[in-house]
Amino acid sequence: MMEKEIKIQTKHLWFYYHGRTILENIQVEIEKNVITSLIGPSGQGKSTFLMTLNRLWENIDGARAKGSVDINFGNGFEDIYTVPVSRLRRQVGMVFQVPNPLPMSIFKNVAFPLRLMGEKDQIRIAQKVRDALERTFLWGEVKDRLSEDARTLSGGQQQRLCMARALILEPQVLLLDEPTSSLDETSGRVIEDLLLDLKRTCTIVLVSHYMDQVKRIADNGLVLTDRQLKQH
Amino acid sequence: MTNAFWDKLLALFSWACALLLVGAVSVIIGFLVVKGYQTIHLELIFSTTRPLDALLFKQQVFDGLFPAMVGTLFLVVLSMGFALPVGLASGIFLAEYAPPRVKWIFSLLFDVLAGIPSIVVGLFGFSITIFLHHSFSDRIFPCLLISSLSLSFLVLPYIIRTTQISLESLPLQVRLTAPCLGATKLENIFLVLLPSSLSGIVSGIVLAIGRCAEDTAVIMLTGAVATAGVPRSIFSSFEALPFYVYYMASEYADPLELTKGYGAALILLILCAGLFVVAYAIKTRLTLKTPYRF
Repeated sequence: MMEKEIKIQTKHLWFYYHGRTILENIQVEIEKNVITSLIGPSGQGKSTFLMTLNRLWENIDGARAKGSVDINFGNGFEDIYTVPVSRLRRQVGMVFQVPNPLPMSIFKNVAFPLRLMGEKDQIRIAQKVRDALERTFLWGEVKDRLSEDARTLSGGQQQRLCMARALILEPQVLLLDEPTSSLDETSGRVIEDLLLDLKRTCTIVLVSHYMDQVKRIADNGLVLTDRQLKQH
Repeated sequence: MTNAFWDKLLALFSWACALLLVGAVSVIIGFLVVKGYQTIHLELIFSTTRPLDALLFKQQVFDGLFPAMVGTLFLVVLSMGFALPVGLASGIFLAEYAPPRVKWIFSLLFDVLAGIPSIVVGLFGFSITIFLHHSFSDRIFPCLLISSLSLSFLVLPYIIRTTQISLESLPLQVRLTAPCLGATKLENIFLVLLPSSLSGIVSGIVLAIGRCAEDTAVIMLTGAVATAGVPRSIFSSFEALPFYVYYMASEYADPLELTKGYGAALILLILCAGLFVVAYAIKTRLTLKTPYRF
């Protein structure tokens, strides 16, 4: 039997928001290249847990975390607090519940992370944008309107655009905060197919409220209740 | 009485208030048009000077509105030139960097500053001029520069607070989008947050432009005079449309002069409308174009 390869591990992870304890002593291991679902009642801190994995909580006033989060980027486990935050977030992508295209064209939205990295090669940028859009099954729908404002796309298209934007840097981990909850069933299924395809190269942590979706696509499960995270 | 009745009553009241406001604006504009449209012709602006000579600043215009129009335009551009960078930077600081206590104190101070009557700001500018005149050089007098600085001080709170509020009202998800992709705080502010809140910021700028163009109390104490001609430099005194309107309304010798005042008021409105259109055009352009190129 093949041994499980662990990608992320947390040790004694606590999280506080304006002094209130949100997560309590979280100790969890997340397997590499599988879809791990995270379920639990609303308001328990599922999104917060995702933000502890890419240090996004540091951008929120009143938030504080303690404990350790280690991720294996290929050279053994590294404490994420010792990794430069920009590098960490390029390796640990995140997609939110509500699509959040930036106020710019479709092309520039997807190319935005490359711009942040200082990429200047136009041909390379164009190729990577095309690859990312193809991976999210969006290229065929937008290839003739790349210069249009991304906010003119439908909700499902916007969410796939956000995934393309997160994927263009080829992250090793993808954090998804209820990515299908604002979409219709058809668009939701497209995203699910995409996730099943992505797990070949990516470790996916998926927050979802839909048990049928979890059963369909998740390999492992975590449940968050009363500030505690347990294996499902 | 039922909730539906109160709902309808409130809706009716809201409609009545909105219509009253639109009606009041229409009456004011209509009144100015009726009173002033007869005087709107080239002679009111350029008097007996050839328009091309006046526009190329080859010849001074006496007894026409051209110097006041140019003075107003210079005043607005200079004031906004001083106020915009400081106002935007302060607004960004308050929204993105200031600790809560500092933010609270500064916000309160800027709100108080916004409530200071313009005549007090004018007096302050005038006092500073006298101080500089006595302390540094007897060649320092009220002039375009001092008027512009005083006006920029007057409109600064509008720009600061609208920038701050526009940035703060962005949803958390928009704020987190760029950091999620590895952007630094500065990249997030300039590439995402400012373009996303441009609409609110431009509204503040438009308000500030209007205030700069119409304020009389500040400029009458800090540099505006009735017959200065087109200002030769920022250290010259100058004419301005609101001061001309005030002067004509209070000192007119015959009904024709008063009619000229109405004409000047109409031109001031058109000038302000033009500046607003430019501000909105810039906003539209900046919103459609992304803030960077590949």
